[in-house]
Amino acid sequence: MGARRSPSPHLSSVLSPVLGENRVLKGYWLDLGLMPYLPAFAIQEQVLQARMEGRLPATIILQENPPTFTIGRAGSRDNLLVSPEELRQRGIEVLEVNRGGDITYHGPGQMIASPLLYLGDLGLNANQYLHRLEDLLIELLAGYGIQAGKKPDYPGVWVSEAKIGAVGIAVKHGYAFHGFSLNVAMDLRPFNWINPCGVPQMAVTSLEQVLGRPIPLAEVKARLRQIISDMFYLDLGDIAWADLQAIAQSA
Amino acid sequence: MRYEVKVPPTADGSLAVTIVSWLKKVGEAVAKGEDLVEARTEKITLYVTAPADGQLVEVLTPVGGQARVGDVIGFVEGA
Repeated sequence: MGARRSPSPHLSSVLSPVLGENRVLKGYWLDLGLMPYLPAFAIQEQVLQARMEGRLPATIILQENPPTFTIGRAGSRDNLLVSPEELRQRGIEVLEVNRGGDITYHGPGQMIASPLLYLGDLGLNANQYLHRLEDLLIELLAGYGIQAGKKPDYPGVWVSEAKIGAVGIAVKHGYAFHGFSLNVAMDLRPFNWINPCGVPQMAVTSLEQVLGRPIPLAEVKARLRQIISDMFYLDLGDIAWADLQAIAQSA
Repeated sequence: MRYEVKVPPTADGSLAVTIVSWLKKVGEAVAKGEDLVEARTEKITLYVTAPADGQLVEVLTPVGGQARVGDVIGFVEGA
């Protein structure tokens, strides 16, 4: 990757730093829907690259993955408690991926959000930003009457002793990527087949399990969009991947 | 000229990060802004980029070593 280019003139207005409530950052809301982990990550990398080269404004990428275990750089297959053959029979993919952290599970009904934001626009460092993502999940859950919180030594968002949301970010040239996930309405059994995040017998839960009623993912996404827009002063327009790609290429 | 490779100030100053990988070897050419090092805390991955066009000439903090924001972890020799 070469040096950063200057933002193209038509983007300079949307790339201005956020100075307060009367300055908003225009950007895009890209909902990929249900998409396997690797192609979805490839899209995130392309958006990040375009962001760094000034070809795209702030973009929030939403996705759900088919059943997949991902093992981060800090992880090992020792925390996978069932055989790879058994997983293959159940149609669950196991991927070693380029992120921090240990093993975790992704599946339909889990909302994964990756805000591709420039930390300089937000006036936050990486640690502050990570905590704001946790705050955002806590606020989202509070809207459902759920009291969630943080644990000092364990990142993520917890309801009592069970983990409901995970956070994990990467920062390149001041641009944040990856983000957070929230268990909305998903089959939680696959979490029993791993030591999630390397912690044995860590309990996990979901919004649906806590509330005891079905929760439409679309509704949670809409609430997230409102909260994330308010928190980071974003004005987000819907966009499809093909259109975003065209904008990045023409800039 | 010798350029310092520093952990970028994008995280808390008190933060210790672990060097996960050097993406270039000593002697290899690097381009300014190119990813050079991947460092992380438990939930944050920071990419350290090359400070100048040139050659990576010295690694001060090897893989597995720890550094703080602002620390010099290596050197690039450039024009």
